[in-house]
Amino acid sequence: MSIPLVPQLLRSHLRELAENDQRLDNRSQFEGRDVEIEVGILGNAEGSARVRMGDTIVLAGVKFQTMTPYPDRPNEGGLMCMAEVRPVSGRQHEAGPPSAESIELSRVVDRGIRESGCIDTSDLCIIPGEKAWQVILDLFAVSDDGNLFDAFALAGITALRNAIIPQEKFELGEDRPLVVSKTPIMCSYQRVGGRFIFDANGREELGGDERIHITLGDDNHVHSLQKGLKGAFTAAEFTELMEEARKKGEELRNMVHALEGGN
Amino acid sequence: MGYGDVQMIDANGIRNDGRKAGDVRPISIELGVVPVADGSCRMKWGSNDVIAAIYGPMEAHPRKIQRQDRAVLDVRYNMAPFSTSDRIRPGFNRRSREISKVTAEALESVVMLELYPRSKIRVEIEIICAEAGTRCVGLTAASVALAHAGIPMTDLVVSVASGKINDVVVCDLNKAEDNYGEADLPMGILPNSGELVFLQMDGDLSPEEFKQAWDYNMDAAMVIHDYCVEALKTGRYPQ
Repeated sequence: MSIPLVPQLLRSHLRELAENDQRLDNRSQFEGRDVEIEVGILGNAEGSARVRMGDTIVLAGVKFQTMTPYPDRPNEGGLMCMAEVRPVSGRQHEAGPPSAESIELSRVVDRGIRESGCIDTSDLCIIPGEKAWQVILDLFAVSDDGNLFDAFALAGITALRNAIIPQEKFELGEDRPLVVSKTPIMCSYQRVGGRFIFDANGREELGGDERIHITLGDDNHVHSLQKGLKGAFTAAEFTELMEEARKKGEELRNMVHALEGGN
Repeated sequence: MGYGDVQMIDANGIRNDGRKAGDVRPISIELGVVPVADGSCRMKWGSNDVIAAIYGPMEAHPRKIQRQDRAVLDVRYNMAPFSTSDRIRPGFNRRSREISKVTAEALESVVMLELYPRSKIRVEIEIICAEAGTRCVGLTAASVALAHAGIPMTDLVVSVASGKINDVVVCDLNKAEDNYGEADLPMGILPNSGELVFLQMDGDLSPEEFKQAWDYNMDAAMVIHDYCVEALKTGRYPQ
């Protein structure tokens, strides 16, 4: 286990740094780590992306299955989002059934994508009431040095935006791109040393308090929020984070679009 | 379609991907791909893409798994849900359990576990993209990752499979050959001593065919060993 014997030492160090407006890796309060995005890196996935932020590395893969539409929505397909934080990604991650943390992770990422309405589920219908496409987005952590939330959300939307529906394989006509009309972006903030910072790394997460996840769509509409861990924050703090998320979200969204040749 | 119904090798003995019978698919190796791990290795082998990461030696817990005279190896082989043509449901299954077990036993034969009593070394093998022969790639990548983590070992383990397709013995089956093949013989070889620490086989091979498959594996292991050593010296292969 890598949990320090005396986490209080780490916490007091982080507090000292925060009082001097510093961070462990010399970033400013709302500065993220450098982001690298690659697309189409998984040969057997119908859409894929790899995101690297510092020493945090994640993969996203999109697969398609056919499903029977739900009785109340006979003309719609479905989206499923699953995040796995397997023990490969860090010594603190144990083998076994999904932890509460990794379930929270996949659900928060799922909500951001689903609620943005970026995927038109009626476009996934094959035969009304009988057959429709189910889009499955699998998120996989390779290396966890903090802020898997943002890395997963970014890899997820990038993989979806580059996914091809494998209609030929299912003998349903020609392959076609999955239509993804928006680019929801998640920005996560954590209270470390008494103040909120953007894109906490592994050490900052270990010595931090509550975190806030904000997913914004193309028009800065809010699509998902989540407050996690112990702690209380003020309305003023939240307003500042929303403002920061708008700026950062725009930047990351442009990055995703640039990969598609200016979409 | 059953065995032998699909023609996979042409009249000149060239296979469907352009290889000759004894050729291995292209291999590349990169170290340090999991920055938070103590050692790691990504091995691309044909269209296979495999990540192996090492954590430890660390305290073994719960205490009942500790051994007074040696470390325990905790090996997990897993296929990512998006690694195959049809999505795999996450979680352990019988196949991955068996492969984890035989991989652990192969590695236990070379890792100097007696140096770390009461501790645990975690070996995580993740198949990111699968195209026939993932157990061989996983075992080879794990041994390179262990070396990268600085864990004392008596040798690397290089694993490769040969098999039979259209009554011809060939080395390192690809996906199509594996699907329609008539036999498969994966081996885990210690390049310095020529000993074996991993052996499986299924299918149908005559004594002569078996000898040929065995020899292909031995020869291929020596070549792949050179790639692994090169990667361990410089961080990657090819440069």
